[in-house]
Amino acid sequence: MSRSITLGQYLPGESLIHRLNPRLKILTLVLILILLFSLERFGALTAYLGFALFLFAVAKVPFRYLLRGLRPILFIALFALIIYFFFSKGGVVLFRIGIFTVESEGVKEGLFIVTRLAALVLFSLLVTLTTTPLSLTHGMSYLLKPLRYLGLPTEEVAMIMSVALRFIPTLMEESQRLMRAQLARGADFETGSIFRKAGNLVPLIVPLFVSAFRRADELALAMEARGYRIGAKRTRMYEDIIFPRDWVVLAFVLALLLISFTMDL
Amino acid sequence: MFIGTEKLTHTYMPGTPFSTEALQDVSFNFQKGEFALILGPSGSGKSTLIQHLNGLLRPTSGQVIFDGAIVGSNKRELLHLRRRIGLVFQIPEEQFFSESVYDEVAFAPRNLGLDEKVVAERVEEALQKVGMQVNTVKSWHPFRLSAGQKRLVAIAAVLSLKPEVLIFDEPSVGLDPAGKKNIFNLLKDLNQKDGLTIIISTHHLDEAAVLADRVLVLKQGRLVMFGSADYIFAQRKRLNELGLALPQVTEIMHSLVEKGLPVSTEVYTLEQAKSEIKNIKRRN
Repeated sequence: MSRSITLGQYLPGESLIHRLNPRLKILTLVLILILLFSLERFGALTAYLGFALFLFAVAKVPFRYLLRGLRPILFIALFALIIYFFFSKGGVVLFRIGIFTVESEGVKEGLFIVTRLAALVLFSLLVTLTTTPLSLTHGMSYLLKPLRYLGLPTEEVAMIMSVALRFIPTLMEESQRLMRAQLARGADFETGSIFRKAGNLVPLIVPLFVSAFRRADELALAMEARGYRIGAKRTRMYEDIIFPRDWVVLAFVLALLLISFTMDL
Repeated sequence: MFIGTEKLTHTYMPGTPFSTEALQDVSFNFQKGEFALILGPSGSGKSTLIQHLNGLLRPTSGQVIFDGAIVGSNKRELLHLRRRIGLVFQIPEEQFFSESVYDEVAFAPRNLGLDEKVVAERVEEALQKVGMQVNTVKSWHPFRLSAGQKRLVAIAAVLSLKPEVLIFDEPSVGLDPAGKKNIFNLLKDLNQKDGLTIIISTHHLDEAAVLADRVLVLKQGRLVMFGSADYIFAQRKRLNELGLALPQVTEIMHSLVEKGLPVSTEVYTLEQAKSEIKNIKRRN
């Protein structure tokens, strides 16, 4: 069983990137992602990949977290490379394997796609690594506020998300405790066929559900006792203040985006 | 040395920013048949320590020793260990998942792969030890029992492993006084009649104090005191500094001594206190 229960991917830190306002951080990320999709030049894209690496250094994120974040896209990247290398034509023939030829344009396009993919993942990873899940939810719910006018209960959805996030570690801890308790009673969660294993999970899942429902009941009662009502206007304990530095960062990123966009044309 | 540790250190999530040292260099040993207490404020590492004793957690460094041998990491060995050392978790009734008391208590012996006939014997015996008749309670739904009964069934569900050592994490937490008394009578019987080695982890000294042979005190993952119960309980000031208190009656007796009444302070139950105070009155 995994010992490291990290909620989301958040890595605590004190850097400028950690302290940026979550709303603006998400907004900036969205802008950068759009730009990465529209960039046409290889040079500009590699510059952004470098920029992402620079930001990782600023945020003081250990290198292995970066590698771990890239691992899931390894397969897709390899697949894309192979497809482009062999099936995208144009330019000079670099070499041939049997009936297949690898041509220079194909190599270029393949590398371009992979670089874009890596840059997309790295920027997104940076945000999830430096923002607590709770701030992320708050930020998202703020940015989604306009959808309220379409009749979507954004505040309530945000509340559901925060409660879910809040209880992930609690339930993880509980399932770990239950697992140990049943192990102490001789339970076996590792051997046997897949059906056998599924059956063996009953002593884990039943108590987990019982306690989850009990907790949900208690939490609902506690929230009502403190005046939580659906649709009521709410204030936050931690105000989501935008500091001057946040505006500076946003302005800087906007300028960067404009420059690279015009240069790319 | 029957059960104990040698320079046991445990670090949670080593190598991450979340890494915490739960235990540092803890060495101790308990004898066979002893009634031992592991005492310490919340977060002192008690739960981590007792989970090492039956192999649920593995040491980051150091060793756990049971019955003269170092506990290995071999899976079969660990399974064997868990058969001999029963661990009753805090609020053990939260582990219930069966539809009958019988199935709940039979879970452990069935996991051992025993014959259903032997399982039935084990269930009957375990329920009897906690004062229940198998024929009366076997088809009851475990979720519908009273809090005190649930706790007893949960203990029976570990007793059915027939362990030689029984470890409890806060055995009486959340029970009313009658339920608590029940539990401590059971612990006493298990120790004195059945000869089980009993280890209790707690942050709060109560009825267990009178039963204890030896006491180990933890603070922030380090062993700070270890010795006979009388030796440890005599150091009231040190315990208070560690954020621990003697049983309430004992604290009252200490206050009486401070007020000038020559009572004994080796008093851990209400009954003892009553007779001690009566004695003093008679003598004066």
